[in-house]
Amino acid sequence: MSCEAKRCGVRFSPPSIVLMYVHTDTKKMRKRIIPVRNFSKYSDCSVAAERLKNHPRHRDYLRQVPQSQLEKLHIILRDHMQGSSLEDILASFRLDPEEDLNKLDDEELARKKGQMDRLFERNRKRTDDPDFVYDLEVEFDKSNQEKCSWDEESDDEF
Amino acid sequence: MADDVGSIPELDQKKYDADEQVKIICLGDSAVGKSKLMERFLLDEFRPQQLSTYALTLYKHKATVGSKTVAVDFWDTAGQERFQSMHPSYYHKAHACIMVFDVQRKITYKNLANWYKELREYRPEIPCCVVANKIDADLKVTQRSFSFAKKQGLPFYFVSAADGTNVVKMFREMIKRAVDYKLNPSDFMDEVMEELENFDLEKKEENSEADENGLSKPPQQPGSTLRLIRPARVRDQTFSGNSNSLAFESSDCVAMTRKSKDNR
Repeated sequence: MSCEAKRCGVRFSPPSIVLMYVHTDTKKMRKRIIPVRNFSKYSDCSVAAERLKNHPRHRDYLRQVPQSQLEKLHIILRDHMQGSSLEDILASFRLDPEEDLNKLDDEELARKKGQMDRLFERNRKRTDDPDFVYDLEVEFDKSNQEKCSWDEESDDEF
Repeated sequence: MADDVGSIPELDQKKYDADEQVKIICLGDSAVGKSKLMERFLLDEFRPQQLSTYALTLYKHKATVGSKTVAVDFWDTAGQERFQSMHPSYYHKAHACIMVFDVQRKITYKNLANWYKELREYRPEIPCCVVANKIDADLKVTQRSFSFAKKQGLPFYFVSAADGTNVVKMFREMIKRAVDYKLNPSDFMDEVMEELENFDLEKKEENSEADENGLSKPPQQPGSTLRLIRPARVRDQTFSGNSNSLAFESSDCVAMTRKSKDNR
């Protein structure tokens, strides 16, 4: 069996992970509904995600789905079981540049960092990239710099 | 005893007095990328030592400055920044400071002022720099000038932990400055601390009973312990012959930091 994962989501009732994939031979789009068993509002999402990723019946289908995404889907599921609205749950992952992240607890902060990591990974140069330069130096022209608006309103603060 | 201001049982901060050892601390808000910067600089060397009880992460690095090999300890926060203040032991004996903000979040830039203020309470003279991280997210920010560093007379770096821009340059320059500072400390506090430590050693035997008294003192408010090592207080404590209470106030503060964390 070989397939190409397209999208992966969550269904609240009954609790399931939903995978959209294309069957490589038939080129047909298929939907696979994977029930999430032995999972409650007290469960550890990272353990549950790992368990699902390695599940003998589903692992071939989930090979291309990152474990971090499965974990996030489990968090959504768990938060829903705890009574949060979908809107609130999704907001907890969203990055608000105005929000003071110092005020979040570990788990809330981890959600925001998870989002930041996606950008980080996208822009990341790895040591095995052919154009990787360890001590990359870039000079930025200071003569044409404009004042940053962050300084304007409250210059006296500093 | 003599090293109580920096009292962390797992760590002997006296080692930072040795010529070939420097301590460099990182400051900045949650999620500005402090650890990512360390990771990018150290690459394979990256083996952090977690001291989670103290919300602290240590990275060890061997650097070559001129013809000398220097052991560098980088101190990074592990959530302690959430208290908007670091424990005095974090600043204790530091030789340089790297202050980081996230170019995508204004509040992290605005908070630099608070971090800098606290740093200077403990370490009035150590070299410090301002690092604008995550420029890969929007290169346009590099066309802007950020006045905080200039106003404080601090070097400023545009960096990206993701693509590596200027990360190594910044760290190398800061290591060099830390070593230079150590060779020529301009810090009055270093001398005071040294004096105090010598004094403590002399007093240790005759004052051994006072230890218990010191221990039973009620915890101090963090605000008051912040001022603990300011010269005036240090002198008061020292010359009243009551150096032990000074030491234990600071270890009370360790307990407090831990407690307030559990209470969250």
